[in-house]
Amino acid sequence: MKRFEYKVPGGKLLRAKIEVEGEKIKFLQLTGDFFMEPETDLEELEAQLLGSRAEPALIEVAVKDFFTRRKTRMAGASPADFAHVINQALRA
Amino acid sequence: MPNPFRFLDLKVNDAYTNMAMDEAMTKARGEGKVPDTLRFYMWKPSAVTLGYFLSVEDEVNPEALNRFGFNLNRRISGGGAVLNSEKGEITYSVVLKEDDPRVSTDPVESYHYLCQGIVEALDVLGIKAEFKPINDVIVAGKKVSGNAQIRRYGAVLHHGTLLVDFDAREMFGVLKISKEKLSDKMIQQAEDRVTTIRRLLGRQISFPEVRDALEEGYRRALDAELVEGELTPYEEALVKQFRTRYASREWIHRR
Repeated sequence: MKRFEYKVPGGKLLRAKIEVEGEKIKFLQLTGDFFMEPETDLEELEAQLLGSRAEPALIEVAVKDFFTRRKTRMAGASPADFAHVINQALRA
Repeated sequence: MPNPFRFLDLKVNDAYTNMAMDEAMTKARGEGKVPDTLRFYMWKPSAVTLGYFLSVEDEVNPEALNRFGFNLNRRISGGGAVLNSEKGEITYSVVLKEDDPRVSTDPVESYHYLCQGIVEALDVLGIKAEFKPINDVIVAGKKVSGNAQIRRYGAVLHHGTLLVDFDAREMFGVLKISKEKLSDKMIQQAEDRVTTIRRLLGRQISFPEVRDALEEGYRRALDAELVEGELTPYEEALVKQFRTRYASREWIHRR
């Protein structure tokens, strides 16, 4: 399991725990003290990324698309921050 | 014209009942079954309360939690982990309709508006405090109140804690403080990030005195006319139902 912790400047703390098997995401958990509504969007993002290729450029697009499509409201973190913490965890 | 609020005065409950009450009020408000509500409450036993998106293993020292006999609890709202100490703080919740024109859809503005009751309450006590985005109230750079909001059921729930006294051994025994978070604020000691009413005043202060200040603070900030009330039977039934979820292992350990 790889982990990364990222404090958004002026915002909140994000953590990613990720496991990759054969270039694909096998486990992903995002946690932190940010605010997000609806709160179920986070679980659904994690579920959607499972089985995806662990490729930073793809993850960045997938994460940003997901939150834009859902019109997820958040405070203390942005879609780019979530993509960042996942991709940093991959490199950890 | 002052805004009428149902006022649920300071009562002590365990963590799971407290969180179930906030959610029940939120649902009933969204459904138009109850008026706007302000509630003050305390906790017994003390509990560590996690924001919805936090994981237990990152935030809590289980050994210390057991040693102190504290409950572990998870909110429906996001935000940080807090120690809701039975000896050291008063918590409060405000519930309004989600489309209430007083509440901005912008999160920071909405926090600013609903944190103003705390700023005013501290002013009543002679303490000059200010709102610090996103969700804190600070005095001279130190946090004295943390807050969380959630929009659900067509209502907005704002709840938070005001630190009255502070046992560093308890708080930093049970909570793991992130190194990242500390480095960002360039503060070495976790203890330097928070303060309490007792420290700010340099004297003992009773809970009734803080409660009175909170009541006056919210009355000013929301231009509120507070009408003492109770939970309705509908809300009581919801509390029973929700409490089971809040107390479940599945809910608490979901992350």
